[in-house]
Amino acid sequence: MHLTRAEERTLAGEEGHSRQKAMELLVALGDIYGAERLIPISSAQVSGASFKTIGDAGIRWLEEMGADGSASVPAMVNPLGMDMRRWRSMGISPQFHAKQVRIVRAYQSIGLLPVYSCTPYLAGHRPRRGQHVAWAESSATVFANSVLGARTNREGGPSALAAAMIGKTAEYGLHLDENRIPRVMVEFESIPPELIPIAGYLTGKVAGNRIPMVTGLCMTPDEHKSFGAAIAATGAVSMYSFDAERPKGRGARGSYNDRICMDASDVKRCAEELMGGSDWDLVAVGCPHCSVRELRRMASKLKGKKPKKGCDVWFCTSRKAYAACPEAVSVLRRFGKVLCDTCMVVAPIEELYSRTATNSGKAMVYLPTLGRQKASFRTTDQLLEVISR
Amino acid sequence: MRGRRIKGGSAQGKALVCSTPLSFLGGVDASSGKIMDRDCGARGRSVHNSILCFPYGRGSTVGSYAMYQLKLNGKAPAAIINRSAEPIVATGAIISDIPMVDEVDTSVIENGDYLVVEASSGTVELKGVNERHVVTCILRHGTKVLLLRRSNEVGSYKGHWAGVSGFIEEGETDIEAAKREIAEEVGVKARTARRHIDSKSFRNSDTVWTVHPFLFDVKTTRISTDWEHDEHRWVSPSEICKYDTVPGLEAVVTELLDGF
Repeated sequence: MHLTRAEERTLAGEEGHSRQKAMELLVALGDIYGAERLIPISSAQVSGASFKTIGDAGIRWLEEMGADGSASVPAMVNPLGMDMRRWRSMGISPQFHAKQVRIVRAYQSIGLLPVYSCTPYLAGHRPRRGQHVAWAESSATVFANSVLGARTNREGGPSALAAAMIGKTAEYGLHLDENRIPRVMVEFESIPPELIPIAGYLTGKVAGNRIPMVTGLCMTPDEHKSFGAAIAATGAVSMYSFDAERPKGRGARGSYNDRICMDASDVKRCAEELMGGSDWDLVAVGCPHCSVRELRRMASKLKGKKPKKGCDVWFCTSRKAYAACPEAVSVLRRFGKVLCDTCMVVAPIEELYSRTATNSGKAMVYLPTLGRQKASFRTTDQLLEVISR
Repeated sequence: MRGRRIKGGSAQGKALVCSTPLSFLGGVDASSGKIMDRDCGARGRSVHNSILCFPYGRGSTVGSYAMYQLKLNGKAPAAIINRSAEPIVATGAIISDIPMVDEVDTSVIENGDYLVVEASSGTVELKGVNERHVVTCILRHGTKVLLLRRSNEVGSYKGHWAGVSGFIEEGETDIEAAKREIAEEVGVKARTARRHIDSKSFRNSDTVWTVHPFLFDVKTTRISTDWEHDEHRWVSPSEICKYDTVPGLEAVVTELLDGF
């Protein structure tokens, strides 16, 4: 990889230990992926923020980096293992809290913004079309590439932090035009909007590591958010293309060697397979974090109803969305906990619950593995019915 | 051996070789440094202060932090050598300050070999082990290729069938060596090589043989062998398996002829 003189100096350690480490990471990964140079980024988003996922080693590494390093572009962080304010009501132990606070302090000392969300495009920085960023959260990466037209690879936690400190990332993968071409056509027909997370779940499975061209789904931004999150969870791909109605002309269709068609019955069958039981101790929505519009919609559906006793309820969102709709939040709080900074995937849910229902295709991948839950898929409206009367 | 720097630094020590891809999360115990992986041929050995050699990393991205934990526990390897680095182990090596080199054929390294690693320049020296660079030239006429039986006069692989082969001498490039050997051993003047593929290395006790394979098309089947061979035959590539050849010859021929 070609480095500028300034980059060489950073690599030689002339700007301190942390920046040297950061540059070593960018250069090594650039070499591995065949990048020719580093390119400037307009923001970074760092994963590895929950004590549950990074452990004591992660804390020590962040503290080491914070000793003499700081971010040089706006940089946000993925969800933590707990709500920084309402951690006690979540049932988080003081031990876990103490470790989590060390992680937050370390990130703050590096100068990262206190945005702990998987939806940085709603809660922090929204990149413009064509802008390069270095984001780590898989669902945010997909949204940035596919919906916003920005460019990012799915960074690892340390590489995203390195990019935040240097303000650059290596130019490979989805930063380059030639790697952003769809290779498989996935055609949907008459899919009910509430099953769009399942359509994403299936798309990721069939796409594997190929960028899919998705047709036949006319999605709102919120639906794109849950669709893309599911793709990135079941597939090894950080981008999809879409054409809401139909591809332009026959040639566009014919250029795909692999075409997969799925209709409502395929998607419903998959949703049924993911239904699991119905005796839950937690109902969790907000993977990815709920937008303001989603919080308001749920609140309006629940308004005038009474909470049903039984399982706990988590509405997970970003602190920014939470602050933007206090009326909706106060309605939702009658039915459950409205949590910020965290979510059901990265919180130590296995210490609190064992059977969780969710409306998220992404959470259906991680709840059984990372969260050791018996997980059940239900549509948002089905869950709202369950928790209210 | 020359590889590529992933994380600079120097180290030396005894090789610990895993034959299969390794995950630091679950594959290595962070408190003892012992390898837990069942299938890698090194189960139960500690990575501590070893030159840890494995083809490439696998598994969860948290594996990078598992390597850092190993370092904090004082059980980290002295250096890491991979055939091809992937981001998890590369990241782990950098954050843990473990010198690391990739693009080295780890299959030629044996447990207990003493290695000197200069990761900054990407060099790995196997102490007490010689690396010998040889060319092997497959001569083709029509659909047949030339096999030669090595005579009793030669130093290695007596009686085995081989292509035209020999050492690359000091100051000589591999293609120069190839043409020289063809002229010496079979009396044919070779023009340009039809194909040249990546070199292959294999281990035989204290020697690592690095073979540089070439394919040449020749216009004649009339050749004159020198003292190094006592018999020759033109055979179709599918027949090579019937001959007692030098190691890896069939695979080299298959790769050279693939698409040609």
